[in-house]
Parts: sequence; C-alpha cells; structure tokens
Amino acid sequence: MRRFGKLLTALLRELADENAYQRHLARHGRKHSAAEWRHFCEHRLRAKYAQAKCC
Amino acid sequence: MKLFGRLAWAVVAILAAFCLGGIALRRGEPINSIWLVVAAACTYAIGFRFYAKFIAARVMALNDKRATPAERLRDGLDFEPTNKWIVFGHHFAAIAGPGPLVGPVLAAQFGYLPGTLWIIIGAVLGGAVQDFVILFASVRRDGKSLGQMAREEIGKIGGFIALLTVLLIMIILLAVVALVVVNALKGSPWGTFTIAATMPIALFMGIYLRYWRPGRVLECSTIGFALVIASIFGGRSVAASATWGPVFSLGALGLAIAVVVYGFAASVLPVWLFLAPRDYLSTFVKLGVVVALAVGILFVRPELQLPAFTRFVDGTGPIFAGKVFPFCFITIACGAVSGFHALISSGTTPKMIAKESHIFPVGYGSMLMESFVAIMAMIAACVLQPGVYFAVNSPAGVVGATPAAAVATISGWGFPVSVSDMSHLASSVGEQTLFYRTGGAPSLALGMAAIFARGGGGEAVLGFWYHFAIMFEALFILTIIAAGTRVGRFMLHDLVAQASTRARKPAGMTGVVVATIVIVAAWGYFLIQGVRDPLGGINSLWPLFGISNQLLASVALCVATTILLKMHGPKYLWITCVPLAWLVTVTFTASWQKIFSSDPYLGFLAQADKLAAGPQNATTAALIFNAQLDAVVCGVLALLVAIILLDSLRIWYGLLRGTRDARVTESPFVVSQLQAEEI
Repeated sequence: MRRFGKLLTALLRELADENAYQRHLARHGRKHSAAEWRHFCEHRLRAKYAQAKCC
Repeated sequence: MKLFGRLAWAVVAILAAFCLGGIALRRGEPINSIWLVVAAACTYAIGFRFYAKFIAARVMALNDKRATPAERLRDGLDFEPTNKWIVFGHHFAAIAGPGPLVGPVLAAQFGYLPGTLWIIIGAVLGGAVQDFVILFASVRRDGKSLGQMAREEIGKIGGFIALLTVLLIMIILLAVVALVVVNALKGSPWGTFTIAATMPIALFMGIYLRYWRPGRVLECSTIGFALVIASIFGGRSVAASATWGPVFSLGALGLAIAVVVYGFAASVLPVWLFLAPRDYLSTFVKLGVVVALAVGILFVRPELQLPAFTRFVDGTGPIFAGKVFPFCFITIACGAVSGFHALISSGTTPKMIAKESHIFPVGYGSMLMESFVAIMAMIAACVLQPGVYFAVNSPAGVVGATPAAAVATISGWGFPVSVSDMSHLASSVGEQTLFYRTGGAPSLALGMAAIFARGGGGEAVLGFWYHFAIMFEALFILTIIAAGTRVGRFMLHDLVAQASTRARKPAGMTGVVVATIVIVAAWGYFLIQGVRDPLGGINSLWPLFGISNQLLASVALCVATTILLKMHGPKYLWITCVPLAWLVTVTFTASWQKIFSSDPYLGFLAQADKLAAGPQNATTAALIFNAQLDAVVCGVLALLVAIILLDSLRIWYGLLRGTRDARVTESPFVVSQLQAEEI
C-alpha cells in the first residue's frame, strides 16, 4: 500500500512537472528559487504546448 | 507456463466468452453493467497476456539490453528514463480526452451492443496494436514523430500528408468539442457560471505559481480544485438569483462566440498565466473522475436501460444519420482506434521509456485503459431511460420544436417519456430544461450523476454531481481548445515557413496574433455552422471528426505496416494490415455516404440540394454552402489518405518483390548502462 502511495505521488509530481523541475535543478547544480522556476517553466512549457493534446 | 497458470488463464478466457455471449444474446430484459465490465476486463487481460506479448516477443523482439533514447539522449527535460508505471499514467493522461467519453454516448443510439463490442474488439486488435507499434517504432528511432517516420518510411508525400491531415483534424476536433461544450452550457446559468469561474481561478493559479509559491504545482492545483468545487456550489445560488441568473443564461450562439473569444485569448496569453495551470488542474480532475467513475460503477452496479439494439441500426437515428455499419465504427474512435494516439505515442512518451520492455505495458496497456473509459461512458449513457436519453440527445429539427412534440415523437419510437418526467429530471439537476442538449456531454453527465448519487446522497445530490460532471467535461475540453489553437498556430507557421524564407524567423507578436486568428476563424466557422445547423450540428460534425481521426489511424497503420514489412517481410503483415483494412473500409464507406448519399439527412450534397429546392431565406444560402463545404472537407480527407495508401502499396509491392531497399532506419544498437535503481 505504501509502495502504491509512493508511486501515485511520483505520478502526480511527474504530471505536475515537479519531478522535471527537480531533475533540472540536479542536472545544472542549482538551488530552487523563483527565478529558477520561471527559467525552467519557459523551456518546459514551450516544449509541452507545442504538441497536440489528444482528443 | 505452469499448469496453475494455464488453468487460471483458461478460466479468464471462459469468463470473457461467457460475458461477451451474455451481453450479446440476452434480449428483452435489462442487463447489469457488471457484465460489460467483466467482459471487457477479461478480454483485455487475454489480449494483453497473449496477443500483445506475442507481438512484443516475436515481432518487436524487445530487448532491455538496448539503450532507449531516454537513456542515450538524456537531457533531464524531454529525454528522461522514467518508471514504467509513471510513464503509463503520463501516457494515459495524454491520450484520454473527450473522445472516449462522448463517442460511446452518441453511439448508444444503436443500443449498447454494437458500440460495446467495437470498443472491446477494436481496442484489443486495432487501437492498442497501433499505439504499441508506433511507440515501438518511435523508441527505435530516437523518439521521432509520426510525420518524420512517415517521411522516412514512406516518402515525402507521406510526411506532408500526415502534417496536413493532422492540421485538418485539429480544426474539426476543436470545432466539434467546442460544440459539445456549447450544447452542454446553453441556457444553463449554473453550468456557465461554474465554467466561467474556472477562468479567474486559472489566472489566480498562474500568478500563485509564478510569484507566490513557485514550483508548488500540486499545492496550487489542490487550492484550484477546492475553488472549482466552491464555484459549483456557488453556481446553484447564481442560477437562482434574479440578477445574476439571466447574466449567465446564454444561448447557443452567444456561448459559441464566447468560446471563440476564449480560444483566441487563451492561446495568445503567456502559457504560465493561463494554459499551464488550467492544464494541471484539468489533468488531475480527469484522472480523479475516471477512477471515481470506475469505483462508482463497481460499487453501484447499475442496470442498463437501453436495449442491446435499437431500431436506429437501420440508419434513421435522431442523433446522427447512418447505419450501424459504418457509422458506429467512426462515431467511437478514441475508445477503440484513434489516429490521434499515434501523435502521443511518437511525441512525449517515447522519450521517457527507460527499457524496451516498458513499451509493452505503456503502449498496449494504456490503450486498454482508455478503452475501459469508453466502456464506462457507454454504461453511463445506457443507465438512462431510453426515452430520456433520446429526449436529451435529439435535436429539435428531428423530434419537434416543442417539448410536447418531442416526447410524442420519441414515445412513438417505442421509448416512452413524458414532459413531466423531463421537467422533474431537469429540476432535480438544477436545469430549466434538458431537451435538445445534443452533443453527448449532458447525457453523460446525467448518467454519471445517477451513478454517483446512487453511491450516496440520492436525489438531493444529483444537481451537484450533474454540474460536477459538466464542469469536468468542459474544463478539459476548453483546455484542449486553448492548447489545440496554440498547436495549430505552430503548424500553420511551419507550413508557411516551407513556402517562404521570410517566415522561417520566429513569429513576432503580429505573426502570433494573425496565425491565431486564422486558426480560431477556421474552427470557429465550423462551430458556428454547428450551432446554426437545424439538425443540431453533431449530425454533420461528429462523423466528420470520426472519419478524420480514423483516417489518421490509417496513416499510422500504413507507417506501422511498412516498418513490419521491412523487419520481417510478409510474415507478420496481418498484425497491422487487418485493422488497416477494416479502417480503410469503414472510413471510405462512411466518407462516400456522407458525401454522396441521396438521403438529405445523411449526405452533405443531398442536403444542399434539398435546401436549394426548398423555400429560400436569409440563412438558406449559408446552410447550402456549409453542407457543400463539409462535403469538400470530407472528400479532401479521403483523398489525402487514398494518396498515402496508394503510395504505401507501391512501397510494399517493391519491398515484397525485392526491388526496394528493405533496410530498417532504426538508431544503432547501444548497450544500456541504466541501473535498475535509476528507474
């Protein structure tokens, strides 16, 4: 049950782009800040919304 | 396989056959929805365990030692090896849109049986296979898109046609889903207020995420969800208010214009401010509702009130014209076979696959899950009394312009319903009327509300659940409209860029606005056409959408067939050729009938001729033009796919004769270094 809960949380965080943000911070060795989030969002969202959403 | 395993699978197979036989053969008495659930679940299990595993092992030869693009091209953003269940959820969230919910509700006009069988069999043998093979092909080609693969495997014509088909589908899709929302909200101040309230809520979420609590998406979405629920409760008071009720009580045309303005504004506003927070919210609500509906159906186990077949299998249905063949199979696209899925399977998902063996549950399994959503939508539609179902879904142009005329017509078909029944139901869900609510969303909301209310609360909570379901449908449809308009703008820019070197520069604000206006005008035109259509709009637009979506599936299956042919020769050709042959037969028959049928209710040209022969007024010329335009769009779509099909046949012939290079264009083999703990 605990494993399922962890998996569900991980899925929600992936859908919310929070995991991608953590990866971004780790990859570039940076710390979380409002400016860093905005920088991440610009790249992430531009790519995300250049693709069609399914019907 | 050990003896116990064999016995267990034999039991599952027998159970699947027994339940499929049960739903197919029982007549004259209501059937419990659990029969559909068990039939679907057992058939999916058999398909997943045996057919998909066979394809994975023998045809694709999935190899976990081979590094996937997520590992080789890892950048922490798009390319990232991810846990298979997270990719599964991500992929499912991406492919699950309004299609599997609305299509089955509309197809229920034939009865529950044709649609249910198509959803189950179509998904196992067609839709899931398409998604699976395209995902596999994309993973083996560095996550390339369907268009890129079509260009490489079939040729430049294939690639160009794939791009053009997608753009056309997008325009039809946006128009038809916008029409579904308009028909759900017309004359409904409660629903309109709730949806209107989601706009400032999304703006609030955007600012919250950008400036107050950057990065806290889940926290922000929870607050957004609480505010949306509050707006549903507030909607009841607004609808009852003598001042505010009329403000939010809009007609179909007013709502259509509002949706067009919304589509424009939402796609030019900064993504972080509106589209992204709205998308997060709608994704979570969508997944939550799907799970809640599954739990509700299993808990309540409602009986289906619609019969296995209705008289409308003969093509005289009030919701849309056309016989069960081919129209059942294009009305339900997304729950059985959807070409749009090929775009997702060759989009974000292949870039997240950590091991090749994960392609199997993600590609095939997610489609089975989507098919199950379609089964749930079918159940939700069929729990309604048939008379109520037809009164809600039939346009005034077919059943009569007054409630008395409508109930007389519908009762005359053998589905008794009265004006008082409908008034009572409307008042139970806080609506003024439920007549002529075409498009599928209101009847789906009624069915869902009935199931949820039976789970607890009864009639007292029916209004809340109805408006919750309407909010859920409208929320993600409007998100699709905003995102789709934006994507359409990029596609238009790409097409123009191919023709002009000037346009290759990034679009400035003027370019963005002009391209957005073009895309919004294109789908807005079809939306207004649907609103003005005396037959309700769904009759012409939904089949057009179904045809275009299935034609895109044909393009995807052409690519998949070419790849299988290059890999194995003709040995496994049947895997993709059987669904391809079926889709080509269905879509070309439907296209032909929609263009050339002599029945004015079915054929676009016959409809234009009938209008031209009748009395002329201010709107007749526009209606004639619209019918002719629909015929042209339908013809262009069929022609585009005929070209790609002929081009594919030419290539297949060359491959089979050995006169064409059969080398596969996969990325080179690189040994995977990925450790289990990394995923």
